[in-house]
Amino acid sequence: MKNAQAMIEQLRKGGKPVVGCFPLYPPLELMHSMGLLPVVLWGLRDSVSDTRDADRHVQPYACSVARQLAQFVIADGPGLLDGLFFYNACDTLRNLPELLREGIACSRRITPPMFRVHVPMKEDGASGYLASEIGNLIKALQASYDVSFSEERFARSVSLYERARWLCRRLEDAVAEGVLTFAGFSAALARANFLAVEDQIALLESALADCEGSITQPSATRVIASGILPPPPVICDLIEQAGLRVAGNDIASMHRSYAFSPEVWDDVRDYYVAFYRDHFPCTTLLHTADRRVDAVVDIVSRRDADAFVFVGEKFCEYEYFELPYLEQQLKESGVPVLSIEVSIDDDGSAETFRTRIDAFAEFLSGREGRHGA
Amino acid sequence: MAREKTRAGKHLSEMMMNAYMGIHGRAAEGAFVVWGAIIVPPEIFRGFENVVLCVPESHAALCAGKGIGSEECLKAEALGYSMDLCSYARIDIGSLSDGYQDSPTFGLPKPDLLVSDNNNCSLLVKWFDVHRREMGVPHFILDVPFCYGPQREKDLAYILTQFRDLIAMVESMTGETFDEDRFREAAHHTAEGVRQWKRFMSFAKHRPSGLTVFDSFVQMAPLFTSRGTPEFAEHYKLLADEVAERVAAGIFPVPDEKYRLLWDNIAHWHQLRKMSEHLAALGVNIVAAPYTSCIGSLEGSFAPFDLDEDTDPLWHLARSQNHSVCPMGLDLRLAALGSAIEEVGIDGVVFASNRSCKVFSVMQMDEQRLIGEKYGLPTVMIDVDHADVRKFSEQSAYLRLEALLENIEAGRGG
Repeated sequence: MKNAQAMIEQLRKGGKPVVGCFPLYPPLELMHSMGLLPVVLWGLRDSVSDTRDADRHVQPYACSVARQLAQFVIADGPGLLDGLFFYNACDTLRNLPELLREGIACSRRITPPMFRVHVPMKEDGASGYLASEIGNLIKALQASYDVSFSEERFARSVSLYERARWLCRRLEDAVAEGVLTFAGFSAALARANFLAVEDQIALLESALADCEGSITQPSATRVIASGILPPPPVICDLIEQAGLRVAGNDIASMHRSYAFSPEVWDDVRDYYVAFYRDHFPCTTLLHTADRRVDAVVDIVSRRDADAFVFVGEKFCEYEYFELPYLEQQLKESGVPVLSIEVSIDDDGSAETFRTRIDAFAEFLSGREGRHGA
Repeated sequence: MAREKTRAGKHLSEMMMNAYMGIHGRAAEGAFVVWGAIIVPPEIFRGFENVVLCVPESHAALCAGKGIGSEECLKAEALGYSMDLCSYARIDIGSLSDGYQDSPTFGLPKPDLLVSDNNNCSLLVKWFDVHRREMGVPHFILDVPFCYGPQREKDLAYILTQFRDLIAMVESMTGETFDEDRFREAAHHTAEGVRQWKRFMSFAKHRPSGLTVFDSFVQMAPLFTSRGTPEFAEHYKLLADEVAERVAAGIFPVPDEKYRLLWDNIAHWHQLRKMSEHLAALGVNIVAAPYTSCIGSLEGSFAPFDLDEDTDPLWHLARSQNHSVCPMGLDLRLAALGSAIEEVGIDGVVFASNRSCKVFSVMQMDEQRLIGEKYGLPTVMIDVDHADVRKFSEQSAYLRLEALLENIEAGRGG
């Protein structure tokens, strides 16, 4: 994949303003419907060679997502992005907007316009409050970019994003069937993230077409991968080399992002109330915690998986607070769990994970009546 | 040499013992027990006759202050909780896991309701979720929008709606009707106590200062056990009067005060006595901290935000939900910090980068730079953890603090 900088450069050639968004579930459909090109600034591992600028603003005990995001925006944001959109997530990310502003200001460049929304972390969705936030966002985007909003265009954008999410779900099926590698699927999604939704659809359709007629790989021990980011490619390789197949995932930037879109809604405000309230459970959406274990157990069951592999991002407190309970529940359901932790400094040392992954695979192959045993 | 406990110090110890024993006693008699995060307003629960509030963060800080923080953290880590998680949370989860065997307060009574919020830190919601799953009790989340500027009207209205929902939930769970008069009375006890707190804090302006930041850290405890009671207001009056008398009599905690510093972060509870003695011997007094100065104020300021007779106390509580530094953006933090530097008279700032509190800490690098630029003050950043001593290097911290003093001296031409 080309790096994010090159992909966004390409996007900008279309002449539409590009809005960098974080964290994972911004109102993409709304921005697209107003003639903007939203990109989610997540998983910038391959686009950031070091974090030298970010390190002047963010302590090293912040997660790699935050540090790489800060590096990307401070170093490249002013030249690449026409706007930045944030909503509230973890404590580190909510502190970032002004740090990014400062980081950019330190190099005497101009910070792109910033837009913020507070997404209610309430089970009932706090519909009135969120509706007002969405209304304010529309006004702010109109004022900044001289664009307009219409419910008709919004509905068309929703259809496009739902199509893209549907294709992601079909590609996940292809991974489960063994006609596409998880690493290949993950790479396709990473690339799609920096495309306009129309091009995402073309890319995903092409990837799906490539799967048709592909030879199904021999049965293997099936695992579900989980984490805030997909495992680094080198860890995906280690998993496959150990004879394990990632047959499904509970990864924030993958399944949790494409699993759900509201089917019935009245208008843009109503859409986003349902979007956040009923979202596929994610550790970053505080109000979804009650549904999370059931949702994960359901993935394990639907994918007929033998085990669960959590690849945690060091310092991601949201994920680590829920892990002991999730692990306990899965183990009680007879699902073995392997938990490994990666950090920003691990790039050269992924081999240290080989022993653990191999040992886990051996343990799984020793269990009776399992796939590939 | 250790300072002798003053009248207010002794009163504080008695008050804390009575508060925790009182909570246990009332729970044993059947009171409805709420566990709340520290910024959840206790006055709301004082509006019910048979409801008591416990604050797990405060219990965790007490454990750390008593020197058992790391041992309690280890118990949580043995359950699978990462060492990178907040040490308050690990202490709380760890100490609960073995039935509070080592707790200095015999732990906390089992809750009937959990009330967390995401304004101080959103991890509190995750932390309380751990208890919800473990104990099978409901969990009410107060969702408070972060402030990058002054609190917005719509956010205030949103918070007020949630306060009313919380009251309705407690009414429904207890069968007791919320008593507006009891609530109003509690809010005014708190307001009087906070006025006295501000009076106590104002003696930091005196040269030498009438207090150290360590005194103010220790004296915060009633804010989490006794708000809304007459004893709360009485205690802080006693404290402020005592400091006033001592200042008038020329008695100061650091009489030979050569350096007046500001501490930016939560207290590192396991080091209070040791550090206060070490610094006092060097003529150093840390005289202020946003952590304690923010009490009774609004976002972006340490000025008093008082409750008068004509103001709806529920509105007043909602309006002040972003006061506690963590729910504020950089610009607001700098505004508040700047006012403290100017009013109290500060020679240098210690930014305590706290691995257990990212929400407080991930902003300090820019704060440090901007404060240095605007005020020309020497500053230093040291690594701490508020409750887990394993993440604190005494040598490294003192080395850096001494470098700060040298910097201040150099600036004085000394």
